[in-house]
Amino acid sequence: MSSSQPDKFEPLVENLERFIEITRQLGLVVSDFQPQGQAPLNQKLHMLVSSLQELDKNKEQVQDVQVPLELIYEYVDQGKNPQLYTKDCMERAVAKNELVKGKIETFRRFKKALVTELGKMFPEEIDRYKTVRGSDT
Amino acid sequence: MSFFKRSPSDSSSNYGGIPSKMPTPIRQRSPMPTKQFLSPPSVDPEPFYLLKDPPISGPGSEVTGETHMISHYGLEHSYNKFSTKKLKEQLSAFLPLLPGNIDTVSSQDNSSLQSVIEKPPITKEITTFTTGMLQGFKLHPGSIPDQYKLLHHQPAKKHKHKKHKRDHRIPELSEPMSAGAEAGGDNGHEKKHKKTKKHGDQDGEKKKRDKKKKKKKARQDPMHPGMPATHEGSGPGRP
Repeated sequence: MSSSQPDKFEPLVENLERFIEITRQLGLVVSDFQPQGQAPLNQKLHMLVSSLQELDKNKEQVQDVQVPLELIYEYVDQGKNPQLYTKDCMERAVAKNELVKGKIETFRRFKKALVTELGKMFPEEIDRYKTVRGSDT
Repeated sequence: MSFFKRSPSDSSSNYGGIPSKMPTPIRQRSPMPTKQFLSPPSVDPEPFYLLKDPPISGPGSEVTGETHMISHYGLEHSYNKFSTKKLKEQLSAFLPLLPGNIDTVSSQDNSSLQSVIEKPPITKEITTFTTGMLQGFKLHPGSIPDQYKLLHHQPAKKHKHKKHKRDHRIPELSEPMSAGAEAGGDNGHEKKHKKTKKHGDQDGEKKKRDKKKKKKKARQDPMHPGMPATHEGSGPGRP
């Protein structure tokens, strides 16, 4: 993550927090509604809409951000900690990395064995090949 | 390195059962441009085709699966953090300041982000409420039923039950005892039996001694010469 990214997300995070707070206050006003509470309720509704408009403006700043759908569907929507997804991804990447590394090593050994065996059958060609390839063989 | 082109001098020789006249393979073009072929000018690269350039090793070279990706991208700190630290599974652990119970499956109350992505609720521009629109938000005084007070419902925090030290100690102490009893359960019983037997034997001996004393007394007592001792008739020691 580059250093400019926290600044990029900061307005979005602030607006989201403001929106959540207004929603919470609306819930409190509505859950135990008082006769004189209509005016504050209308005010909160206006604030909610303006907060949504602010959030809508923020989307231009984060157009290039890509969020994996698996993270949203399988973790956030299921009430799970999204950091578990990051952990799983890293563990999968390390396992795959090890697997590919092993394959590369196996192919390297195979190449070495093949060149050795071919050198027995086609010594001249392999000598020339080694000359062309240099240290790579 | 896929194909070798034989020199004419080799065509007569037979390499270990391989037919000497092999069909000349169709020469294929390498996907790599010929300019990139690594071949010193002094060496004729003619016998080899489909020969790719070897990967250039060193800094800035192509990243392959051989390199340790976590360290290559500088993610060791994050990896160590996630692999060593045990993460809490709940969403509320990641968003602790969010009001309400957010750890439930969102499809239960139709609050899933998936539904927002698939069917965006607002497709037009977001406009402010007019006075006429706000008429629909006129509420009657009073509180709503408890089941709708979702925002007040905080997730119940799990209090860890404090385990008393004694609770730990008792099984620890009792386990070897019970294990010993299980291992040598018969011996334990034998010991108990032996003790009871000993106790019973001691009592019997005392009784015998008392009887003998009484007999002696009865014999020696001049006041009651003919008085028989208790259980005298049934006594085994009577001559």
